[in-house]
Amino acid sequence: MRLAVPIKTIGQRFALPILIFASIVMVVLGKADTLLFERIRIVFADAVSPMLAAVSQPVAAVDRLVDRAQGAFALYSENAQLRQDNARLLQWQHVAQGLSVENARLRELLKLAPDPSVSFVSTRVIANSGGSFVRSVLVDAGSREGLARGQAAITGAGLVGRVTEVGDRAARVLLLTDRNSSVPVAVDGSRERAMLVGDNSDRPRLRYLPARSTVKIGDRLVTSGDGGVFPPGLPIGVVVDIDDGALRVEPYAQLSRLDYLRIVNYGLAGVLPQPVAPRAAKASRGIRESLTHEPAP
Amino acid sequence: MTRRREWSAARLLPTVTTLVLAVFSVLPLRFPDYAAVAPLLALAGVFYWTIYRPDLLPPIAVFLCGITLDLLSGAPLGVAALVFLLTRVVVLPQRHFFVDRLFPFVWGGFTLLAAAAIAFLWLLGSFFAGVLLDMRAATLQWVLTVASFPAVAYLLMRVQRAFVPSA
Repeated sequence: MRLAVPIKTIGQRFALPILIFASIVMVVLGKADTLLFERIRIVFADAVSPMLAAVSQPVAAVDRLVDRAQGAFALYSENAQLRQDNARLLQWQHVAQGLSVENARLRELLKLAPDPSVSFVSTRVIANSGGSFVRSVLVDAGSREGLARGQAAITGAGLVGRVTEVGDRAARVLLLTDRNSSVPVAVDGSRERAMLVGDNSDRPRLRYLPARSTVKIGDRLVTSGDGGVFPPGLPIGVVVDIDDGALRVEPYAQLSRLDYLRIVNYGLAGVLPQPVAPRAAKASRGIRESLTHEPAP
Repeated sequence: MTRRREWSAARLLPTVTTLVLAVFSVLPLRFPDYAAVAPLLALAGVFYWTIYRPDLLPPIAVFLCGITLDLLSGAPLGVAALVFLLTRVVVLPQRHFFVDRLFPFVWGGFTLLAAAAIAFLWLLGSFFAGVLLDMRAATLQWVLTVASFPAVAYLLMRVQRAFVPSA
């Protein structure tokens, strides 16, 4: 008892410095060895994802209600706008159908290999994160649903980012705006190649353009397909600003208002994920994959 | 026996409420550009309990709350833990200035603390990125964190009065 008291007070006195030291060590180690921490993170995400999914449900419901109320107010003007859009899009549909037929014929003539077919997994965003460090979201699907590292995440509007960490039933998607994100892009039309590099701001930068580039404000960007990370031709965004020689790109997808994402299963060539596959084996494979696969350039 | 159980469960409330605040700060609210500036709700939790019941939010609990937030947000592991522990280091010696003061005084203290904490996170983030990050997002995050403090403090005060045994 006489011994126990000093030990307890020593423990209390040094708990704070020890824990502060531990935090600093973690921060430094995390910078050096990200794989171990990545694994810890995704195991944790797996464990809490059902809870996060449940808690984010009412939030999403309130969001939908607000959206609906806003929609009701804007009904008349929106209807007029939609009529106009519809007329315009119908014209485009005719054009696209014509082009699609023509494209198929020309491909046949050239004996071009067909594009690999693509499958999607739709999933809900259950947590997002910002602050000074990351731009990423956690989604409600993992290796069970066939997600794998490197797959593209898109919305109807365009590319959102890529899957970077995959657990059993949760995965983290690195957004285009994150400073660790770089995506090979092509300027629609001129086919100039460049990299879209995030810097944690809302608008990622366009870098490594060819020397005599003709890119200007208003140009559309699509994925170039270089490096085999993303399928070519996914819409990304539009060049909106040039400041200090840096081209800023506004993504089509509203990255700050993500609710559902589609994860594009590009590499699997149309093989649908099997939801009833043995879980344990799949899970451990998922983690092994996420450990062995280096992020593509 | 049951009274004793209730007693020990209530003693966990400061940790639990701070964890809940950490979870709330990563929920995907779909306000435009919200994610980048989401308030550091858990910081308010650490600040509140360090002032009013530091014995019930010991360093190890502060550390766990920080690690949980880091794991949820995808930030480098240990960053929030470090900030929360430093919060304790700074606030604990000053807590007697705050304990019986009016709320605006406490709020003012939190305003300074949040400024220091977010500036520290911004510096650390810039160091990790290798460039100075956008300061506007950090500033807005500070404003939102400070603005959300009255609501958070009110809820924690209700929890404390209703369930947490007095020292």
